[in-house]
Amino acid sequence: MKFANFISREAIRPSLDATDKEGAIREMVQSLLDAGRIAAGEYEAVVKMILKREELGSTGIGRGVAVPHAKHPSVEQLVGTVAVSAAGVDFASLDGETVHLFFLLVSPPDRPGDHLRALENISRQLRDDTFCRFLKQAKSREDIEQLLDEADNNQFGS
Amino acid sequence: MNLPKATRTVRLSNPEGLHLRAATVIAEVARRYRSKVALHKGSQRAEATEVLQIATLGAAQGEEVVLEASGDDAEAVLDTLVDLFHGGFGHEEDEK
Repeated sequence: MKFANFISREAIRPSLDATDKEGAIREMVQSLLDAGRIAAGEYEAVVKMILKREELGSTGIGRGVAVPHAKHPSVEQLVGTVAVSAAGVDFASLDGETVHLFFLLVSPPDRPGDHLRALENISRQLRDDTFCRFLKQAKSREDIEQLLDEADNNQFGS
Repeated sequence: MNLPKATRTVRLSNPEGLHLRAATVIAEVARRYRSKVALHKGSQRAEATEVLQIATLGAAQGEEVVLEASGDDAEAVLDTLVDLFHGGFGHEEDEK
């Protein structure tokens, strides 16, 4: 699965304001809502599900990356966004480092395969140091869109 | 010197497959042992201590994963990992 299949371009956040975990998650879910990917009435419910998932163990998987996610019945297909924080967010990551890159995913409960394929793609691309570095340096939505397109065209990754 | 080696084949039974938390739990367990552990899905290989590598396998329900360990506690680490696979990595219901 390619980024173009699940990342909502309108929801990309090149510069997160939040510096704490809940704030960062709220900001990203809000951007999905603003992009029309999540219904306004479901905002709190989606945020709560993502926070509940974080309680099971941080999705901050090291290398300054986190993949907060949840299943929610209000979405009919996998939706996601990318966010970058220059300052870094304390996400209780496995390696204790602050998080600069976020891939947030919300998927329908009955489609675990789609979630797994999106995670597979994100993980593969993030293993490439150049992709990570460029993404962290991205200053605009256009920069991030271009990097995701290049990744989709197999210009990064192992 | 030949280090003890162990191999197990497991089939993913949980509907979520080898998702992020499963990958995280596997990596945490693998780091507690001295043996070097790898997961294989077909021709793909992942170091068991690396979450991103495990997640890149994209192993789904019904697929087979081969676990290989090399070291003095090779059998022990694989016993623990196989239990995790058979247990569906726990807490499935909580994630819904």
